[in-house]
Order: sequence, then structure tokens, then C-alpha cells
Amino acid sequence: MSVVAHLPHRTLSLADEEASSPPAMELTGRRRMSAAERSLAETIYQEFRADPRHEEFVLGCLNCGECTTGCPAARFYDFSPREMLQIAANGDATTLWDALQEKIWSCCQCYTCNMRCRFGNDIAGIISVMRELSVRHGVESTRRTLAPFGRSLTLLMTVGTQVSSDMIQPDFFRDWGPFATGSDKAWDVSPEIMRKAIPIDVLQTTRSAWEVSVQTSLELFRIYEETGVLDMLRGLDPDLTEMLVDIIEERREEFREARETHRARLETMRGPVATFQG
Amino acid sequence: MNPVLVLGGGPAGLSAAAELASLGAPALLVEKENYLGGNPKRWHYSLLAPDLKPAEEVLGELLRKVEGNPRVETRLETTVTQVEPAGKGFRVSLRTRETLETREVGACILATGFDHFDSRRKYEYGYGRYPDVLDFKELEGMIHDDRILRPSDGAVPKRIAWILCVGSRDLQVGNTWCCRMGCAVSIKQAVEIRQKHPEIDAYVYYMDIRTYGLWEDLYWKSMQQYGVKFIRGRIGQITMAEGGKRLVATGEDTILSRPTEVPFDMIVLASGMEPGHGTQEAAKLFHLPVGPEGFLTPKVADINPVDSGIPGLYLAGAATGPKAIPDSVTEGMGAALRAFQYARD
Repeated sequence: MSVVAHLPHRTLSLADEEASSPPAMELTGRRRMSAAERSLAETIYQEFRADPRHEEFVLGCLNCGECTTGCPAARFYDFSPREMLQIAANGDATTLWDALQEKIWSCCQCYTCNMRCRFGNDIAGIISVMRELSVRHGVESTRRTLAPFGRSLTLLMTVGTQVSSDMIQPDFFRDWGPFATGSDKAWDVSPEIMRKAIPIDVLQTTRSAWEVSVQTSLELFRIYEETGVLDMLRGLDPDLTEMLVDIIEERREEFREARETHRARLETMRGPVATFQG
Repeated sequence: MNPVLVLGGGPAGLSAAAELASLGAPALLVEKENYLGGNPKRWHYSLLAPDLKPAEEVLGELLRKVEGNPRVETRLETTVTQVEPAGKGFRVSLRTRETLETREVGACILATGFDHFDSRRKYEYGYGRYPDVLDFKELEGMIHDDRILRPSDGAVPKRIAWILCVGSRDLQVGNTWCCRMGCAVSIKQAVEIRQKHPEIDAYVYYMDIRTYGLWEDLYWKSMQQYGVKFIRGRIGQITMAEGGKRLVATGEDTILSRPTEVPFDMIVLASGMEPGHGTQEAAKLFHLPVGPEGFLTPKVADINPVDSGIPGLYLAGAATGPKAIPDSVTEGMGAALRAFQYARD
């Protein structure tokens, strides 16, 4: 059965709306944290500082801001890689918690900040560590942030890509390549063209683009199980995880059936054969 | 007494040669270029920070002590190609384009200096591609001649930016050290321009302002009296706008935490100091250890900054690290004294 049929189509429920309405503010302008949030924030902070990647990625900062200069997200959102690195290097549980709420999801993981950083920090890397922690701990805002991306996530997890080769056509990516040369014109692309560049619907993509071989899918699933990605996702979105597990089981069953068929065919041709355990 | 070889005719070397002469010792001053005065002369430095004294005046005083001095033998366009021990001192081969000559010297002073960082290596600033992006050593010459004009069209710029730490404090180009004088010299340039042309706006983009010690006064005055504007944050890239008529500097104002994009008529890069070509050659010639930065290293830097650790071989000036002219002159004097003591007995 095709993966596409499993793709979730969700809208935000009323409960989600309520959860996202702004709670009372503290005098500082910060959202007030509940006791549970405080304790979760502290746990996440401790794990963050204990992560061996923290020491490796965060070296120090001269506050030069060159990371932010190159950052595409910083042009459009209240987001600064420098701020993220400062939080990673000098922040506390509360500032980290605040960053997890929204800002870390503005990053598009293009790693331009790393390329620009004169101190040798891995800024995009430490942001991805923050993301990982907020997913693993099922932070509520992360759940909300990622909800619209269930479709992309399912595709990524099951076939390994969400962009198929035939989606990449010049007309749909006018903001790329030859249409956007001329250094001061890089962002001067009309809204219509930008809109066209966003494949909100699947556009002209054929379904067959996502039909990958069973072996490929099985290898992906094995990686997710071994690296704990599935467990991580379970904390964030149990429904999606269950669906993925169903798909995994289905494809494994497909593989077993195919193997049986193949063996039966071999046996009819040249007698009993040994079976390799896949 | 055999002469003392002074390698390099910049402020440190001139000071060493002058000092040796005043001690009554013969000095052999070898310079690879065809003039004395080193980088300040080469790039026509204008006023020197922090006292805003003309470079010509400072250098002139040193040159007067050396040129025409019977105890100083000056050899221009000459390099040392070979060196070997000879008695207590050294036997050195002096090569010019035409001649090769062997001389015995009682001691050596390496005052081989620095080179300015080649700003083309920070490709994102477009130095070498955009005519209106200058290195600050080039602006020195323009200020010196009082011709502050855009190279592209000869117009008077309305707004100039300085970018500090170009090729300094930057792992990307491998230079992690501070050049010590970029802040002061840039601010001095901004002050000089504002003094003569108050209609030109001056912006300085910085990470930290390191006008250390008494130089801080220059920094304060640049704001109090001359209205130089300081923005914390580095420019990450320079692009062209208005059909190539203006430069646009993109960066982050890290105090306001906001990206900035400002058009400028001219942008000046404060390029750092690197171990000079002569310094690298001298390290090879004398088999001297260099630090991780590539500068020569004194044996005991805190007690005797001019002693190389090899008997009879002394170091002075920016060969051992970024240095301002007064420090180089002081070290030249120290090295001269040590070399004199060594070669005398």
C-alpha cells in the first residue's frame, strides 16, 4: 500500500488554540512559567549542558554578529544565531526554555553561520541539539510548531525525502539560481514568484517519485530504531509515531511476503533453499 | 670591532642602528627595499596615533640619526642569503641584484617587521573587486595628500565606514591575534577626516575598541569632539547597490540585536598585521623557532624581550608580534644595547 495514503491531514483543534493563547505575562514581559514547566526547563537545561556536543560546538563568542549577517532567517524573523549561541554559552534554564518556545524553529539549518563564524563555533549544530531536546521532551510549543509538518515528517521518515526530483523545476523555484543573481537583488523577488516557490500542495509531483524500494525503507527504519529517533518522536507526537510504526510493520510484512514468494519460486525451480534472515 | 648587522630598515631597525652609532659601535644596516622607513614609509602613513604627530616627523628624526652617520653603513636593496658562525659572531652573505659579498659581523639584530594582512583573503568584503573598498593603509596615503576621493569616480564621499579586525581575531583566515593598532589607527583616520571635512560622516564597526592605555583618550575625543559614530558588530558582507554606485554593508548591530544594511560611499578595512615576508625568511635563515602565529619568539619574553636565545642574535620590533612604532623604537634601543655588550668584548 502506498505511503501517500497514510499522510496525515490535520488542522489545529480548539484545544490547540487555547493552549496557544498568551498566558499572563510577568513584569519582565516574559510568559509566566508553571511549576511543571519550570521543572521541565531545568531538566532540559541540565541535559543540554551535559551533552558532549555542547563542549565541542560552543567555544566562545566575540559578539561580532557575522553569523547573523549571513543568516537567511534573521532577515525575516526575530531570530539571531548569535543570540542562540549566547544562550547556549551563557544562558540559564529560563533563557534556554524561552529559546525553545519558538526561536530555534526559525533556523533553516543552512549552516551559513558556521561558515561565517570566526571563532569556529558550530552554531547550527548547537541549535539542532536544542531542537532535539525539545522534541525528546515533547515540549508543548514544539508539538504545536511541528504539527503542520506531519506530512513532511512522514515522507522523510518513510521514503527518506519529501522533495522529489520532478518538483525541482525552474518555475517553482524562481528565487533560486539565475533569476536571483545581482548581489543587491538577491531578495528582490516578487511575492508572486516567492509564492510560486512554495510547494504548498504537492503541485505537479507524481506519486511514483516517492515509491522507493522496500529495502531502502527498511534500512531507514532500522536506522531510526537504532538511533532512538522513533522513541524521540513518541514523546512529541504519539499518534504520528503509531502511524509510522504501522507503516514500518506493513513494509516489513511486504518484504517477508516478497521473500517467501521468491523462495517458493526458487524451490519450484531447484528444490529446497536456505533462507537468509533479513 | 666588527659591525653589528641590523636586518630591516623600519622604525625598529633605524632605532637600533642609531643607538649603536651613539654607543660608538659600527652598524651595518641592511634593507631589502630601496628606501629606509619600513611600512610607515612604504604606505605613506599620515599622522601617527595617538599623539597625531606626522609620521614623517617621527621617521625623519630616526632617519637623520642614521643617514650620513659615518658609523652606519646602509645597504639598500640587499638581502642576507647565508649565515654561519664565525668566532663569536657571524659570517653573512649579502646579496644585491648584481653582487654577492661576505662580511663578518659581531652580532645580529633582526628587525624584519610585519606585513599588512592581504584583505583580498576576506573575499566577502570585495577588496580588489570593488574600487571603493580600501585598505586603511591606502587611506593613509589619501589622508596624507588630503585627497579624500572615491577611487571609482573621483567624487567626494559623503559617508565612510571603517571595519575593524580584518584579518585579525579571525580563525577563518588563521589569524587569531589582535593587531593592537587597528582600532587606534582607524579612529585616528576618522578623526583626521572629520577634522578637515566635517561634512563627511564617519562610522566605525567594531567588536571591541582596544585603544589600550593612554590611547583611550583618542577614542573618547573622536566622539566628544569629532562626532565619529561607533556601531558594535562586524560587517559580514559588502555588496553593490544603486547600479554599482554605492556599497552596501550588511551586518548585525549586536547592541540592538538587529540586522543592519547601510549604504556607504567608501569602506575602509583595518587590515591586521602578519609576520612579514622578511621575518619568515629570517626565521628560516637563522633556524629560529616561531610561535603558532608565525612571529619570532624571544627566549624569555617577559624579562628580555629582545633576546633570541642564540648568543649574539637579538630581535626587535614587529618581528616578534604586532607592535606600535614607539614600542618598536624602544625594542630597537634595547636590542642595540644588548648587541653592543655582546660584540664589544
